[in-house]
Amino acid sequence: MFSPETQQQVDRLFSRYPIRRNALLPLLHLAQKENQGWLDSKWINHVAELCEVSPTHVEGVATFYTMFRFRPPGRYHLQVCTCVPCCLVGGPEILEHLEHKLGIHTGHTTKDGLFSIEEMECIGACAYAPAMIVNEDYIEQLTPEKIDQLLDSLATTPQEQETHA
Amino acid sequence: MEVFYIDDQPVPFEKGEKILSAALRAGLEIPHFCYHPALSVVATCRMCLVDVTDLGNGRPAPKLMTSCSTDAMPNMRISTKNDKVQEGRELVMEYLLVNHPLDCPICDQSGECTLQDHSYAHGTGHSEMEYNKRVYGWRDIGTFVQLERNRCIHCSRCDRFTREITGTDEFGMFNRGHELTLDTFSDRAMTNHFQGNMADICPVGAITEKEFRFKRRAWKLRKVPSVCTGCSTGCNITIEHDRNEVLRLKPRENQDVNQWWMCDEGRLTYQQMNEREQRLAKPMGRVKGKLLQVTWQQLYDAVADRLEALKPNGEQVVALVDTHSTLEEMFLLRRLLQEVFSSDQVFYSQQDWAQPESEFFIETLITTDKAPNQAGARLLGLKGSQEHDIINVMKSAKLLLVLGNPFINEQSLLDLAGTTELMVHIASRQSEWTDRADAIFPGQNYAEKEGSFLNKQEYWQRFWPALRPSRHVRPEWQILSELLHMGTATPVQQTPQFSQVFQQMTSIEHKLFGNLALEKLGESGISLADLRQQSDTLAQTA
Amino acid sequence: MLEETLVLFRNIRTPGYDGTLDSYRKAGGYQSLPKALTMQSEEVIALVKEAGLRGRGGAGFPTGLKWSFMAKNTGKPSYLVCNADESEPGTCKDRELMLKDPHLFLEGMMIGCYALGCHHGYIYVRGEYFPAIKSLNKALDDCYREGILGPKLLGGDYGLDLTVHTGAGAYICGEESALLDSLEGKRGHPRVKPPFPAVAGFNSCPTSVNNVETLTNVTAVLEMGADAYKNLGSPNNAGTHLVSLSGHVNRPGVYEVAMGVGLRDIIQELGGGVRGGKQLKGVIPGGSSSPVLRADEIDIAYDFDSVGKAGSMMGSSAIMVFDEDTDVVKLLHRISRFYNHESCGQCTPCREGTHWARQLLRDFLQNNGSERKLNRLQRVGRNMGGTTLCALGDAASMPIVSFLKKFPDDFRHYYATAS
Repeated sequence: MFSPETQQQVDRLFSRYPIRRNALLPLLHLAQKENQGWLDSKWINHVAELCEVSPTHVEGVATFYTMFRFRPPGRYHLQVCTCVPCCLVGGPEILEHLEHKLGIHTGHTTKDGLFSIEEMECIGACAYAPAMIVNEDYIEQLTPEKIDQLLDSLATTPQEQETHA
Repeated sequence: MEVFYIDDQPVPFEKGEKILSAALRAGLEIPHFCYHPALSVVATCRMCLVDVTDLGNGRPAPKLMTSCSTDAMPNMRISTKNDKVQEGRELVMEYLLVNHPLDCPICDQSGECTLQDHSYAHGTGHSEMEYNKRVYGWRDIGTFVQLERNRCIHCSRCDRFTREITGTDEFGMFNRGHELTLDTFSDRAMTNHFQGNMADICPVGAITEKEFRFKRRAWKLRKVPSVCTGCSTGCNITIEHDRNEVLRLKPRENQDVNQWWMCDEGRLTYQQMNEREQRLAKPMGRVKGKLLQVTWQQLYDAVADRLEALKPNGEQVVALVDTHSTLEEMFLLRRLLQEVFSSDQVFYSQQDWAQPESEFFIETLITTDKAPNQAGARLLGLKGSQEHDIINVMKSAKLLLVLGNPFINEQSLLDLAGTTELMVHIASRQSEWTDRADAIFPGQNYAEKEGSFLNKQEYWQRFWPALRPSRHVRPEWQILSELLHMGTATPVQQTPQFSQVFQQMTSIEHKLFGNLALEKLGESGISLADLRQQSDTLAQTA
Repeated sequence: MLEETLVLFRNIRTPGYDGTLDSYRKAGGYQSLPKALTMQSEEVIALVKEAGLRGRGGAGFPTGLKWSFMAKNTGKPSYLVCNADESEPGTCKDRELMLKDPHLFLEGMMIGCYALGCHHGYIYVRGEYFPAIKSLNKALDDCYREGILGPKLLGGDYGLDLTVHTGAGAYICGEESALLDSLEGKRGHPRVKPPFPAVAGFNSCPTSVNNVETLTNVTAVLEMGADAYKNLGSPNNAGTHLVSLSGHVNRPGVYEVAMGVGLRDIIQELGGGVRGGKQLKGVIPGGSSSPVLRADEIDIAYDFDSVGKAGSMMGSSAIMVFDEDTDVVKLLHRISRFYNHESCGQCTPCREGTHWARQLLRDFLQNNGSERKLNRLQRVGRNMGGTTLCALGDAASMPIVSFLKKFPDDFRHYYATAS
C-alpha cells in the first residue's frame, strides 16, 4: 500500500528499533502522509500487520494522539495555537479572524477543500506568539494582515509546490 | 513470614507482595476497582489509597499511596481508617460519580455493584455535580455480553483481560482524557469464548451478560456451589437460582482447576438445568408394548419378578453408562452388576479428547470431552467402549441397564436393545433408550442432586443441589442403591443418605479414595494424587 | 544591566552561524566528545555529578545522580532517551537548540550515551516540531556521513546509533514513563512506579530519560570542567539556563542567563518590561503548571531553589507575563482547558477533575459563578493534587489553587456584578 519510495523509508524505519511495534508512531505518520493526511481503517489494519500487533492496538494508539486524523483535512491544514502565551497576545482573535475569513468553524474544511482549521494546544512557539502551523511550516508573530496575505498566496500556489500535512 | 501493620494489626506478606494483595489475603477490606489478582497492576482508579504512616524506616510517605502498587515492607505501618484516607476515598468516589449515570433502577449490576458498595461505605452521600454527564454512543459488541459505555468507570479490567488473559486483544482503550472509552475495535464484535468473564470482572454494569439481562434482581438470587458439566475441566461454579429456576452460572475461584474463569458455553449449561420438556417425570413400565405410569414399589417389584424369571448369568447382563454420571452412581452400578449378577460388563462411552495447549491458561479450559466424568469411569475400572467390543457382548445380553444417555448415536447398539429380554433406563432425560425401555426410572439432573466428579486432571470435585426436584423423581444414586437391595431377602433399606453411599464408596475403594468422609471433601475439591499421598502418610504413621 | 551569559547560545548568537556540521566544527565543536571518550564511563558520570548539573526539563533532578541509578550488569542493553517533547505551555527553548545548533546538543547526547554504555539513543521529538525534526535528521545524516556516528563513534571502537522518533501530539508524553510507552509504540500512559526507568525503561531495559537542554549542557560541562560550570549560576543551582519569555512583554524571546539572576531583571531588562506602558499584574514563572506569582512577588532569584521557596516552581524556565488588563479567570480557564485536553484519562481524579474544573470555570465566564461554585472549584482543584498516578494531576491542580489564592477578587467580580 505504500509507494516504493515510502516503502524504503518504512523498511529503514523498522531497522532502527529492536521490536517492530516500537516503530508504530513514525509509521502511522508515514501512513497518514501517504493517505492525503488522514487514516482510515484500511491503513490501520495495514499498519497493524506491518508492526505485528492487533488492529485494536493500533486504533487505540491512533485515537490517543491528536495529530492523527480520521477525516481528510484541507490541502492546507491550518493549526492555530490558542494556548496560554498565545492566548495572552491574541491567539484566539487570530483564530476568529481565520474563521470569518474562510467562512468555516474550527474543525471544518472549506467547500473547495483548500483550507481546514484546527485549534491547537501549545505548539512551542511561545516567544513568537501568536503562531500557527500550516501543514509542516511554522508561521509566527501573526497579525490579521499577515494571515490575509498568507491565505491569498496559498490559494494561488500550484499543487506540486506544497507539502502535505 | 515477615509482617507489616494495617491499623495496628499484623499482616503477613511474601517478599515483593503489594500491600493490597497481602491485606486481601488476610481478609481485610481495602476498597478498590481496578485491581484484580489475575491482571497486571495499573493503579489508576486511586480508590485503594492508604496512609503509610511509617514506610518501614521510621519515615512516613509524603502522600497517600495506592496500596495495589506499593510493596509491603517489614515493619511498615499503614492506616486505612484516618481522616486523610477517608477524604481520599470520598474524593475518588465523588469524581467517579461525576459522570456515572444514575442507572441503578434499570441496571443489572444493582445489588452486586462495587461502585454502589463503595459509594455507600465511603462516599459523601451527596453530589455537587450540576453539569451534563458525558455520554457515549451505543453499539452492539457481540452475542454474549452487552456494553453500556456510559456506566464505565475506566478501571480498564476489560482491556487487560483481552490482552493478558485471552490474548485476543479485542478490547482496547480509545481516545484520551474525559473522552477515554473502553470498547472493541471499530465495528468488530467480540469472538472469544470467555466473554462472560468480562461481565464478572467489570465492577459496574458497563459489561453485563446478555443471557441474564433484566431477568432477575441480583439480591434475589440464592447461590449454591457446584461444578460445570460442559466438559471434562469441571470449572468450579456457583448456581444462582430463584423460585426453583436457575438464572445463571458464575465461576468460583479455584486456583487448581479454573483459576477465576469459565467459558461461555459452560455458562449456557444453565439452560439444561431448567429444561423440563425432555425430563422423565415419573416411573414407568411397559405393559404389552405400552408405557404405563406406575409407582416406584410397583416398578421395583416388576423388575425383581422379571429377573427372577430370567435368572441371567454374568455374561447375560450388560450395563451402559454415560460419563455425565457421578462417581457414586458409577460405583453403585458396578457394585450392582458384581454383587447381584456376578457381572463386570459395565461399559462407558469412551472418547478421545484433546486438551488444548496455549500460553494463555484460559484457552486450556475448554476440552473436547463434553462430559464431566470420563476420568471417573476409567478410575473405577469401568470398561471403555473403544477398548471393548460391546456389540458382541450385547448380542448375548438378556438384561440391559442404561444409566444416563450414552451411545444415542450408535444405531447398532440401540437396535440390540430390542433383542434383550429386559431393558431398564435410569436417567433424568428421555432419549432413544427410553423408547426401547421396559422399565424407566426417572432421575435428577446436576442441579437437583448430590454427587462428585473426577475432572481431566483427576481432580475430585463435589457439587451441591440448588433446585428442588419434582416429587416423582429420585437421584440416580438412590435408585441404584434400591436396585441393589431389590429382590433380596433383606427388605429394602430405609432411604439411604448420600453421605452413607459416599462413605461406602470411599471405604470399599479406599485405595482410590482413601476412606474419605463426605464432609472432608470441601468446596475446593482435592487432587487424587494429593489424597493418595496424604493417606499413604497416614497409613505409614498409623 | 542584566546581560545574557552565553554558553549554550554562544554559537547561535554569533552572526552568520548556520548550525551545519562545518560551522559547528569551525566554532570549536566535537572536541568534548573525544575528551569524554578518553575517560571511563563512570568518570564521565562523576564529572557531571560534580558539576551539579540539574535537569532542565522541569523537575530539576541532579543529572549525574540520575545516571548513577542506571541498573548495571543486567544483560540487557542500556538506553539514553532524549525528551524533546517540549509541550509545557510557555516553553520554546529546546527547539532553539534543535533548530539552530543541533550538533551542540547531539554532541552532549553522544557523550551521555557513552557514559551510560548505550549504543542506540533515541530522541523523542514532539510530532508538531517539523522544522526541528528536519534539522536533527539532517544533522544526523551529516554525522553518519562523516563517520562521527555509526559502528565507530568518531572512528573509535564504540558503536553508536541515534534515531529521531516522532511523537504525535500528547503533552503527557513529556512525562518520562509515558514517553517510554509512546516510544515503545503504545498509548502514552504514565506507568506505575516502581519499577523506575533506570531499572526497566524502554522495552524493559535500563533507561535514562533526559531533556535536550540538559544534554546540551553535558557538552559544556565536558568543555569547561566541573568547577567552571559550578561557578556559573548560584549555589546548588549550577550553570546557565534558557529562559522562554512570553506574554505581555516588549521583547518576548528565548534568553540564556546564569542560574539565580533576578526574575524581575529578566522581565525588565531582557524582556523590556511590560508592553504598552501597562502595569504588571502577575507572572507564571515556570510553565503553566507552576503556581502564579503576583506582581509584588517577583523580586526573587530565578533558580530552582529560590522559586521553590517563594511557593512556586521554576520548572522549564518558561516565564509568562500578564498585565493589569488581563482577565485572570479567562486565563485560568484556558489553562484548565489545556490540562483537560491533555489528560491521558487513566486515573480518576485527573480524568474527571480536569473536566469538571473546566466546566466550573466556563460557568464563571458565562456569568453563572457563585461563592458556592468558587468553593467547589477550590475543592476540585485541590483534590487533584497528590492523588494521581503522575504529576499531571498536580500540574492541573496548582494553577487553580494558586490563582484562587492570589486573585480571589477577580473571581468574585464575575458574580458580584452579575447578581
